[in-house]
Amino acid sequence: MSFTGQSATGPEESSNAQAATHGRDSLRKAVVVGGNRIPFARTGGAYTKSSNQDMLTAALDGLIARFGLQDERIGEVAAGAVLKHSRDFNLTREAVLGSALSAETPAYDLQQACATGLETVLGLANKIKLGQIDSAIAGGVDSASDAPIAVSEGLREVLLDLNRVKTLPQRLQVLSRLRPKDLAPDAPNTGEPRTGLSMGEHQALTTAQWKITREAQDQLAYNSHRNLAAAYDAGFFDDLLTPYRGLTRDSNLRADTTLEKLATLKPVFGKNLGAEATMTAGNSTPLTDGASTVLLASEEWADAHELPKLATVIDGEAAAVDFVHGKDGLLMAPAFAVPRLLARNGLTLDDIDFFELHEAFAGTVLSTLAAWEDEEFGRTRLGLDGALGSIDRSKLNVNGSSLAAGHPFAATGGRIVASLAKMLHEKGRVDGRPARGLISICAAGGQGVVAILEAF
Amino acid sequence: MTGAQPVILGDMPSLSKLYVNAAATAARRRVLGTDAGITLPPCGHEVRGVRAQVANLTAYQHLVGETASDVLPAGFIHALAFPVSMSVMNRDDFPLPLLGMVHLSNKVEQHGAILFTEALDITSWAENLGGHRAGTQVDIVAEVRRAGESAVLWKGTSTYLAKGVFLPGIDKPSAPAAPASFSAPDPTALWQLGVDTGRAYAAVSGDFNPIHLSVLSAKALGLRRSIAHGMYLASRALADVGAVKGDSFRWDVAFEAPVFLPARVALDISSVHTPAGAWLCSDYSAWNPRSGRRHFTGSVSLL
Repeated sequence: MSFTGQSATGPEESSNAQAATHGRDSLRKAVVVGGNRIPFARTGGAYTKSSNQDMLTAALDGLIARFGLQDERIGEVAAGAVLKHSRDFNLTREAVLGSALSAETPAYDLQQACATGLETVLGLANKIKLGQIDSAIAGGVDSASDAPIAVSEGLREVLLDLNRVKTLPQRLQVLSRLRPKDLAPDAPNTGEPRTGLSMGEHQALTTAQWKITREAQDQLAYNSHRNLAAAYDAGFFDDLLTPYRGLTRDSNLRADTTLEKLATLKPVFGKNLGAEATMTAGNSTPLTDGASTVLLASEEWADAHELPKLATVIDGEAAAVDFVHGKDGLLMAPAFAVPRLLARNGLTLDDIDFFELHEAFAGTVLSTLAAWEDEEFGRTRLGLDGALGSIDRSKLNVNGSSLAAGHPFAATGGRIVASLAKMLHEKGRVDGRPARGLISICAAGGQGVVAILEAF
Repeated sequence: MTGAQPVILGDMPSLSKLYVNAAATAARRRVLGTDAGITLPPCGHEVRGVRAQVANLTAYQHLVGETASDVLPAGFIHALAFPVSMSVMNRDDFPLPLLGMVHLSNKVEQHGAILFTEALDITSWAENLGGHRAGTQVDIVAEVRRAGESAVLWKGTSTYLAKGVFLPGIDKPSAPAAPASFSAPDPTALWQLGVDTGRAYAAVSGDFNPIHLSVLSAKALGLRRSIAHGMYLASRALADVGAVKGDSFRWDVAFEAPVFLPARVALDISSVHTPAGAWLCSDYSAWNPRSGRRHFTGSVSLL
């Protein structure tokens, strides 16, 4: 194990890892019953005036209608939003109250940047496995259009002080501190607080470090659009999606895009690096609005309600990297989480039938794959004997991913889990074992959450 | 629908023009005396292929506390149909003065969800001209169908009172209704209504009746302050009842003391369930928490 690396086997000895697997086997299963989302809309589009609560409720109501959950008391609902107004402190509970679920359904909010949606699935699945709850709805929502805007620090301090003083002269004195610049609002941005670099600029550093070409990124983006369009045409999303505000498909999807068209786009990130700038609006995800939900249950609950059991939530792993001073790329945490998760479950990349690697940027997916194929990275950073390995690209994001669908931050996890569960169910068994899928989602703050699902 | 076939209007009538016309008619009748008969117009009006504007729908939903779903709230459909009803009340042969009419009660039957993407045919007519101890009342009925279809998806009956108008041949009820005694229950909600409540609802409903807009415009029509739209209050109560009502339901409201703005309104919503726990209805009443005067009562119930 390298001193500076993140060991793939984790703190446990490998013999203990086997025991851990046995421990999990004694738990009951958490199954994915199905999911529902609204089509994702490019920011400033169809959902411009819809709030996070509106969209989450719309996705939830579609799920309720699909699985007959009217008046049902669900064990727990967890969801979240990355861009969230402080008045939405109980966003998920409010969405539940506005939905057709029983008002006696508890709910909580969770926030882990872009990993929010997947983390709600893992947390709730764990509760089901432990027998604490029998049913759960995981979800996420984000609106870049209806983003909260804060007042400036200067105005905020004045307003708070104004509340604390009693007399008119005191009030005037407090107000006199206001300067014109204090009236400028404070809009959210995608910059990392500690580096000031936007997510795209961070990824541009990583993309250049791993020498990912423009052509490879454009090819990944092209595949994403082509695969998503084909999935829509095949009716794959018919039972995964409810139309909302006139949209029936993700509005970012360009079914007719071509490699030639993608090649004409001008780079938008990494223009001041020594290396050639390769990241364009075509191979980066746009800001998007949308919401997704996933229905989870114990086997008994699903059977009692005569609902399908698509897939089992096997295991999950979170990781974080020290990106602040450039030791690793901001979005490279999954490169460490996946080897640990595979090792704990006694698996290799070859044992995976579907790879769902969230496309924050084409460069993110390709940098992660490059790291896994790199001998040096495998030895010094993952503590392995060599490279983790390479994947069969035909198993990667086969029904499209975020580059085509868009990426409403907290909604992406639910989109992927529901789609993957359906794909696994359709695939059934592979070589006598259940079909297996790997989800990997990178997140701001140098974090990542990954998970394994198996066909039920 | 009674009587003759409705008159098909080519376009949705403009409410602002209708109000201006109503004011002109009121002035003319004041000078020349009333020339309208004592019977209701023999036919209704119909506008076909009406579509909700999604931006307007979202603003309405946010204002009354509905989630911005694709389903049109029952109160939004009332607002959508209102110009057609207004055009009936604006006809030269409509016997009552439109301005200053008081909304006494409202009944809605919603027979299924209507999505904002659907084109609708809206028909409206007047019926049940009758005596009231304080004047003359009339029912304005509106029906909403999917364009080209015959099944009624939404039917609203608004009962209005023309205060102080007594038409020959229409008797007023012999005994004035005894004021029901009301003792306020413990509230389940408390609404804070700002002075701009009427303007905000006017903006999303299109109902720019001057009595709702400002103190001055309300005073011009004889009120001491502007008052909240009745349908705004009822729509908030409907939103408060929530998703338990499903897609088909009955929604009634009877208005009592007007809500002068700004105001605090106390509200009680209590639901009735079957022994097995199935929802039957949610009854609501609202009152002034200071004076205890009741503003409105109503119910949302299984159809």
